[in-house]
Amino acid sequence: MPNQSGNVYGLTILSPIIHGAAGDISHDCAIRDYLAGLPRDHRSLFAKVSSTHLARLVVMDDVVFVGTPAREEHLQSKYLVFETNFDGDLDTYLERMAREAPEEVHAVWQHCVGYPGVKDPAAFAAYMKKCQIETTYFFADVNNKTVQQTLRALKLQSGVAHFIEANQGKSASEIQTAFRQFLEKVRHAPEPLAGEYEGHPHLPARGAGATGRTDPLAEESEGHHG
Amino acid sequence: MVNLNVADIQGFVLRGYNFPFARYLLLELEGPEKGRDFIGRIIPHITTGQRWENKPQSTVNLAFTHKGLARLGLPDATLLSFPVEFFQGMKGRKEILCDTGRNSSENWDEVWRNDVVHVWLGVHALTPEALEEGCAEMERIMQGTGGAYLRQAQDAKAVFIDNKPSSKEHFGYTDGFGNPDFEGADRHSQPGQGKLTKEGDWVPLATGEFVLGYPDEAGELPVAPVPHLLANNGSFMVYRKLHENVATFRDYLDEQSRHYAGGKEKLAAKFVGRWRDGTPVELSPDAPDPAIAADPKRNVNFTFGRDLDGVRCPIGAHVRRVNPRDSAGFHGLLVNRRRISRRGLPYGEYVPEGEAVSDKDDRGVIFMVLNSSIFRQFEFVHQQWIEYGNDAHQGSDKDLMLGNHDGSGKFMIQGSTDPQNPPFVCARLPQFVELRGGDYFFMPSLTALRLIADNSVDPR
Repeated sequence: MPNQSGNVYGLTILSPIIHGAAGDISHDCAIRDYLAGLPRDHRSLFAKVSSTHLARLVVMDDVVFVGTPAREEHLQSKYLVFETNFDGDLDTYLERMAREAPEEVHAVWQHCVGYPGVKDPAAFAAYMKKCQIETTYFFADVNNKTVQQTLRALKLQSGVAHFIEANQGKSASEIQTAFRQFLEKVRHAPEPLAGEYEGHPHLPARGAGATGRTDPLAEESEGHHG
Repeated sequence: MVNLNVADIQGFVLRGYNFPFARYLLLELEGPEKGRDFIGRIIPHITTGQRWENKPQSTVNLAFTHKGLARLGLPDATLLSFPVEFFQGMKGRKEILCDTGRNSSENWDEVWRNDVVHVWLGVHALTPEALEEGCAEMERIMQGTGGAYLRQAQDAKAVFIDNKPSSKEHFGYTDGFGNPDFEGADRHSQPGQGKLTKEGDWVPLATGEFVLGYPDEAGELPVAPVPHLLANNGSFMVYRKLHENVATFRDYLDEQSRHYAGGKEKLAAKFVGRWRDGTPVELSPDAPDPAIAADPKRNVNFTFGRDLDGVRCPIGAHVRRVNPRDSAGFHGLLVNRRRISRRGLPYGEYVPEGEAVSDKDDRGVIFMVLNSSIFRQFEFVHQQWIEYGNDAHQGSDKDLMLGNHDGSGKFMIQGSTDPQNPPFVCARLPQFVELRGGDYFFMPSLTALRLIADNSVDPR
């Protein structure tokens, strides 16, 4: 079934970009400029819309025919391509975008034909759905877990690794006591924030200062043996 | 069946010589004319892939950096047709290779920092005398033609134990098992060395994974420069000087093994996926087995398919990361595009276990790779399988031995309920291996060398 992979929704939207200039800059260039300056880490607009697994925004200038004999053909307009994989249903997601990231959404879609504004989230969602095309291809890592479940699992996995490292070799009773404490910590750990990650080699490191909080499960590693 | 013209292919492309002594002469070329004269005079000395009636006392092989080919005056249309990674050189690929921090080029040997290496002239020899003799001949040709200057001579030699050359490196592991077998290479195949068929048999890989001008595993000709005559029967070589922090390694192994119920040697084996004598952990998880280690029919002949949980060989162990064999799925099709042929010898003096040793001593391994696409093969293996762990389901964990560690990394040993094989986490990984320089080289065929020497490379 298109658009749906288990509980994950795949959305593809092609929004026609207004032909011509917005002041002294063409609308497509204005979008590109704005997108180039958007943060890609936890400050991303898609961290605000926290049910997002992966999203991207691309300006599609034209589609060039490759083949023989050569043929000159063009799209009727430039398009903003918006692709996202998220948890939950489509209307809720689109309305969340309008409610939770109105400035960013407005800054991008104001350059698109027929954009109704974000003040009425339902109208924004209806507009977006008019531009939707079918999605049959999903982000490879989508595995039917929600963003929250995935983040929690990753944190738990690294927490368990820290726990083993800090307690391996101890007596059974010591390990049991430590494990109970660890479980309590896991139970009371705050929900992980969207956009959190640990040590990915191709993304800049993010200090604890960014959110004002350290990884609650990582403290286990302070009790290193030896 | 590919019928290779082995007389046209440099022997180093087709096989490691297993000679105990080597000197890698790193040369700067004077200019096009004298440089070509120098190449022309070296050609008769080059060791080809022809089978030896009698083993020679020494061998000679030759390869160029992109800067070297430019210095020889190759046409721009040819120079621009090389793959971009070769044009950029290893230093220019630091982001992809994670050659940062202690591995960054500011810390490399001077010769590699200054971009003066145009030519790699590799001399391998059976004895120190033969090495000196072979190198003296090279020196005479350099001086006679004035075409090349020696910028550094990098010596390397096998670790000698009881006065016999061994295959050990400085951390004590027996190295150099299992180079991939490919179609047309004239040598004895070992089960485990090529690629797996759906039926589970080992067969040679496509020639084009290692030699330019032949179909590769995708049925395509590898990306190669023009003209074809320059590219065919050539290969690309990666050269990396890897310093080994032996004191750090021994201290870390001692410290960690105090907490590991399986004992020190088993822990060392779990790091790599081989016991230090070379026995594959997958075949003999409880103890080294010299009979297996010495048996070419068994010492590379294993798969991980029945050990997907890493109970025997940890999923992040070195040999499993860099050659996942059957465990990456798709009947090995993905792995078959990421194989590399390795060469190398240690440098520096070997210090036996128990004797005082310092990280500062100059010792390590000269590690070389031959492959058709540095980007698709070596760089992929290094970036994704050494410096990252996602394909091995190890998250961001790096390879314990070769990873560029900052003290925060960890290595998971999966283990089982057997008290002698417990799960274990090695944390706070120090950097065991540091990069001290290197570059990307093109190792042309004999035909191509003659074209270069005659100034008749014609890309039109």
